[in-house]
Amino acid sequence: MRDNAALRPIDPAPAVDYQTDPSRYRHWSFTVDGPLATLTLEVAEDGGLRPGYKLKLNSYDLGVDIELADAVQRLRFEHPQVRTVIVTSGRDRVFCSGANIHMLGLSSHPWKVNFCKFTNETRNGLEDSSRDGSLKFLAAVNGSCAGGGYELALACDEILLVDDRSSAVSLPEVPLLGVLPGTGGLTRLTDKRQVRHDLADIFCTTAEGVRGQRAKDWRLVDALAKPAQFQAAVRSHALALAGASLRPARATGIALTPVHRRFGSDRIDYDHVAVAIDRGRRLATLTVKAPAEPQPTTAEGIHQAGAAWWPLAMARELDDAILTLRTNELEIGTWLLATAGDPAAVMAVDRTLITLREEWLVRETIGLMRRTFARLDVSARSLFALIEPGSCFAGALFELALACDRSYMADRPGDPAAPVIALSPLNFGPLAMVGGVSRLTRRFYGEAEPMEAVAGAIGRALDAQTAVALGLVTAAPDPLDWADEIRLMLEERASLSPDGLTGLEANLRFCGPETMETRIFGRLTAWQNWIFNRPNAVGERGALTVYGSGGRPGFDWTRV
Amino acid sequence: MNTTLNQHLIDPEICIRCNTCEETCPVGAISHDSRNYVVDAGLCNACGACLPPCPTGSIDNWRQVLRHAAYGVAEQLLWDTLPVQDPALAAGTGPSAPPAMAPRPWSAGQPALNLFDHRRPARATVVGNYRVTGAAAASDTRHIVLDFGATPFPVLEGQSIGILPPGDDSFGRPHHARQYSIASPRDGERPRYNNLALTVKRVTADHDGRPVHGLCSNYLCDLRKVETVDVTGPFGASFLMPDHPAAHLVMICTGTGAAPMRAMTERRRRLQGDGRQGRLVLFFGARTRDELPYFGPLMTLPAAFIDVHLALSRAPDRPKAYVQDLMRAQADQLGGLLADPETYVYVCGLKGMESGVLAALSEIAAARGFDPQGLLATMAAAGRLHLETY
Amino acid sequence: MMSIDYTDLIPNNVELGADRTLQRALEAWQPNYRNWWLEMGPEGTHDLDIYLRTAISAEPSGWAQFGHVKMPDYRWGIFLAPRDPERAIGFGEHRGQPAWQEVPGEHRANLRRIIVTQGDTEPASVEQQRHLGLTAPSLYDLRNLFQVNVEEGRHLWAMVYLLHRFFGRDGREEADALLERRSGDTDNPRILGAFNERTPDWLAFFMFTYFTDRDGKFQLCALAESGFDPLARTTRFMLTEEAHHMFVGESGVARVIQRTCEVMKAHDLRDPAQVRALGVIDLETIQRYLNFHFSVTIDLFGADQSSNAAGFYSAGLKGRFEETKRADDHVLKDRVYPVLTVADGRLTEHEAPMLTALNEVLRDDFIRDSHGGVARWNKIIEKHGLPFRLKAPHKAFNRRIGQLAGVHVTPDGQVVAAAEWQAGAAHWLPTEADRAFVAALMGRVVEPGRFANWIAPPPVGINRQPIDFSYVRFD
Repeated sequence: MRDNAALRPIDPAPAVDYQTDPSRYRHWSFTVDGPLATLTLEVAEDGGLRPGYKLKLNSYDLGVDIELADAVQRLRFEHPQVRTVIVTSGRDRVFCSGANIHMLGLSSHPWKVNFCKFTNETRNGLEDSSRDGSLKFLAAVNGSCAGGGYELALACDEILLVDDRSSAVSLPEVPLLGVLPGTGGLTRLTDKRQVRHDLADIFCTTAEGVRGQRAKDWRLVDALAKPAQFQAAVRSHALALAGASLRPARATGIALTPVHRRFGSDRIDYDHVAVAIDRGRRLATLTVKAPAEPQPTTAEGIHQAGAAWWPLAMARELDDAILTLRTNELEIGTWLLATAGDPAAVMAVDRTLITLREEWLVRETIGLMRRTFARLDVSARSLFALIEPGSCFAGALFELALACDRSYMADRPGDPAAPVIALSPLNFGPLAMVGGVSRLTRRFYGEAEPMEAVAGAIGRALDAQTAVALGLVTAAPDPLDWADEIRLMLEERASLSPDGLTGLEANLRFCGPETMETRIFGRLTAWQNWIFNRPNAVGERGALTVYGSGGRPGFDWTRV
Repeated sequence: MNTTLNQHLIDPEICIRCNTCEETCPVGAISHDSRNYVVDAGLCNACGACLPPCPTGSIDNWRQVLRHAAYGVAEQLLWDTLPVQDPALAAGTGPSAPPAMAPRPWSAGQPALNLFDHRRPARATVVGNYRVTGAAAASDTRHIVLDFGATPFPVLEGQSIGILPPGDDSFGRPHHARQYSIASPRDGERPRYNNLALTVKRVTADHDGRPVHGLCSNYLCDLRKVETVDVTGPFGASFLMPDHPAAHLVMICTGTGAAPMRAMTERRRRLQGDGRQGRLVLFFGARTRDELPYFGPLMTLPAAFIDVHLALSRAPDRPKAYVQDLMRAQADQLGGLLADPETYVYVCGLKGMESGVLAALSEIAAARGFDPQGLLATMAAAGRLHLETY
Repeated sequence: MMSIDYTDLIPNNVELGADRTLQRALEAWQPNYRNWWLEMGPEGTHDLDIYLRTAISAEPSGWAQFGHVKMPDYRWGIFLAPRDPERAIGFGEHRGQPAWQEVPGEHRANLRRIIVTQGDTEPASVEQQRHLGLTAPSLYDLRNLFQVNVEEGRHLWAMVYLLHRFFGRDGREEADALLERRSGDTDNPRILGAFNERTPDWLAFFMFTYFTDRDGKFQLCALAESGFDPLARTTRFMLTEEAHHMFVGESGVARVIQRTCEVMKAHDLRDPAQVRALGVIDLETIQRYLNFHFSVTIDLFGADQSSNAAGFYSAGLKGRFEETKRADDHVLKDRVYPVLTVADGRLTEHEAPMLTALNEVLRDDFIRDSHGGVARWNKIIEKHGLPFRLKAPHKAFNRRIGQLAGVHVTPDGQVVAAAEWQAGAAHWLPTEADRAFVAALMGRVVEPGRFANWIAPPPVGINRQPIDFSYVRFD
């Protein structure tokens, strides 16, 4: 073994921890008032996640966004009566000035990319909730709103801008920093708000942005309100939005108790998820375990179980595992996805999820699973599912295999221990990728024949050869071939360029028609990541480097 | 001394220079230049390993030559054709007879062969080195134990190994390996340890008695514990003992020729108690009692286990005796044994003993009514007669 | 399922009896191989008893067991040269690391390609030679042809063993494909061009085994250096057999020359037409065959500038001839090598990075090696007091691959105009008339000890057997 695990000190905690709770918030706070919640940003200047920069003017870094994600999550689960979330600022005359430029200037390229990915996922999550009949979001822009601040507003259902003759919305990245509004900004201007492209061009090259009536005329905001009427306008818009939410009027939330984690030497163990890292092979194995105990089948039972209910606990743990590996284990380039346990137990939970899918907690849980699995689709790691004896790639958990770049299923005809897979209705839409396309539809390009075939297989235990015939797995090596086949495949993968693989995987995973989300993760992010590597942004005289120093950027004028 | 050598040569007219022989040779005796492939008579031990793989038959050529007048490498490299056989030397020996691969006893174990060569020797550690000849003896014969650690080095009694002395010869080439018979049984000098023993006589004079400094023997004799040594082999596929317990062993040796006999005797000794065993008869020659390696331990073995006959040619207290004399004295016993198909005869020692021993065996066979040449040929063909002389 | 005792059927030193993966692969492959042999192996030979050499172990003593066998019953064994547990990779960027005992995933595709390309030549040459038995000039030669054939078959096994043992399902599919391609088939040809040509007569066969099998030797030598130890050990053992093929070629041509010289001397002839009239092959025709086979074979080494060759070397997959005997850094990053090109109508050498010129390095090693046999052939002519001398043509003559392709160079190395070259080609390369003449000489001779008129008997028989031994029995 080339694994040098024994030589590494045992990390007490990962370098970046995505787990937090309101008692630890430094930048966000929220209050709840009937169907409305107000989520207020007031960034602590000295509260940066990393040393070396001050978070002035309500600018944010990864730590600020981790709080935002946590706060929204808690509103979803702990406050079911909330229907609209008002996103606003606790500061005077400034709503949010976006990602902190000094932080970006100091960050490595992988850090910037990972930061943008997480913030993108959080903003997609707002839209995912809204689309699903869950929380609606209103951006109450009560001051200047620039860059990432405006991109946050763009992710809300509506933007209400204070018309105080000075507060503007702006995307000043290109004129000031030489980079793009990369957290969905450019794409949402066009695809979501359908701002005319020539006006968007003016908007995005004007550092001071657009305010007042022009902002509304150009569709940059939905409504304006004078300062004196602002609070009332916020409330009425928020209540109007609330009408479209399917959340219950009266319900009691459940507490999102802390996720149980134990960090070991190159291991993280959760209750239902285990991560094992093989540094020599630059490989991590994520194992998701089926429920070991019978799970509740009624709404009452589920509420009683609360955060310990298997699908909810499993999804929170997997979410944390993915984020932790993605942020803290940059060289672990391959993730093996495995499952362990009884496929019937997973299918039983699936039945409950489907039967009770209109129930608010079930809806939120499916939503969390959907968003968690969607993180896999945009993870810059090679994903392989190993479907072996003792596994439970059934229903919702088969979605893990579907998310992988390839899946290998052990073919053991006649062996009672041979693994099986199974499909449930959850595989046909509720756990769709970002953009709303199910992974099965993605896999078969929505073609009628294979889709009907797999729909006909719902609920059946499928052996390896059936799975191959249905096109549900990549290959089914038999016991004699298995070890070598997997070893060779992994070694071959590990030898390929990580950049080449990232680009390849991102392209192939989002095959088929583009959606706004795929354009954000594909076109916008790819351009942004290119610019992030260019001297015009990050060189000695790059715009990002010299920002705030008083110096002028020096560009290489070659158009590429 | 006027000894002849059956010199191994390669026919340059038939050879296609494919390098197979050089690749195969376990002792590095074959080399080539842009013109010819040649055999170094000083290195070739006529083991025959190169013969079967040769595609052309050019490898299978032999000339009877005077040992001191063997064709040198430089000379062979210039040949376009093979030299003709000197009829004076060929006379009496008949047509040049390549060494047929002598068979091993039918019940002998399967030997491992040529596991390590000069390009890739095994590294052994010296774990013992002490003198076995008496303090009064002029000759310094040593019992040297080599341990192979984790390196597998399986051997059988009767096999030999090569020792690579360090350093280069006067031409800047690495020294070639010298072969030594293994003096310990297959399970190790110390049972179940991965070690073996050699019996090495410090060479201080050549065959003709002129003083020389034997390079490898002095190197070995001077080794101290913990020092390491590079080993090739194992060699030898026919001079092996039968594993059949009822087989009788007649062992005839002089000097360090005792090494394989000690190995076989010790093997049998360790198997004592495993049922009925065949007889062991040893004829052992030396100049004086003090020069008999392993003299002390030999004398302590019970006569019922081994029948030992010591022949001393220079003992002051008794008339000169050679091994063949003692064999004749045991004609009755030996005659009976020769008639038994489960008797195996081993001869090991200086070249000079060979003719005397064979003559004695022939006499004894004839006295029993056998055609002596026929019997010895039959025994050799059945792997029952083994000669190793040098 | 019927269990087959492969250990008995297939002599091996790879613990075949204990390797279920291998056994399973062979269950499917072995019958197909036999069918292939019956269909595409030497024509009309399946009932003949042939005095063949069979390897039953990898030790020198087990290496060559001689006896009469029917070819379909030949025991094609699987042998690897003994393993050196301390062997390290000898060249490239992994130099000094322990040799790989399993295929590194990183190099899986390239290694598979190397093995398949090598493996494909083995059945190809059997197919190319399958009609030659009908015109054998003696039992001795017939036996040598069949020995070559069964050993090519064994080399196919050796490569198939690697595919089956180390490359999983892909390997099995490639192994099947090795039996499906056919030499000269328009739709499903063998991989390398030279292996789709026919071997029409015995002079071509001898030239092929001398030159083209020598390409095989050099390729195998380069692979015997591979960091993938099973490939190195497999090819090392194959080399001992490859030597026999070159023996057949070198001694075969030598005996043709010998016979021609005897006739020329006996009748004091020089004129090729007169020589031909006496039923032997004139030296000029032999020279033209030599030119053809030499030039076609050196094209097999590939383009003179090759990034593949560089990649294979740097990755430790394929070394140079006698890599371990060379005294350089075995990484070659800064080394250069003279490569022949044409500039301003003249052949000039320019220095190219050695890494990308490794095909050329191997080609030049081959050329040096093949000159040796030509010199030995000339000794025969010289011995007969004849002034004629054979000569290997210039490296740039008649090339189809690399920078020298498309340049018109004479066998002497003169660059000439296309028209001039075309006019000279009939003097330099075998013509239809030459081939027709040689073909007309071919006729089967099957009496023990008798040889066709155009070829001399060999100096010694096989395995110390007399020359009039029944090397092939027809009953």
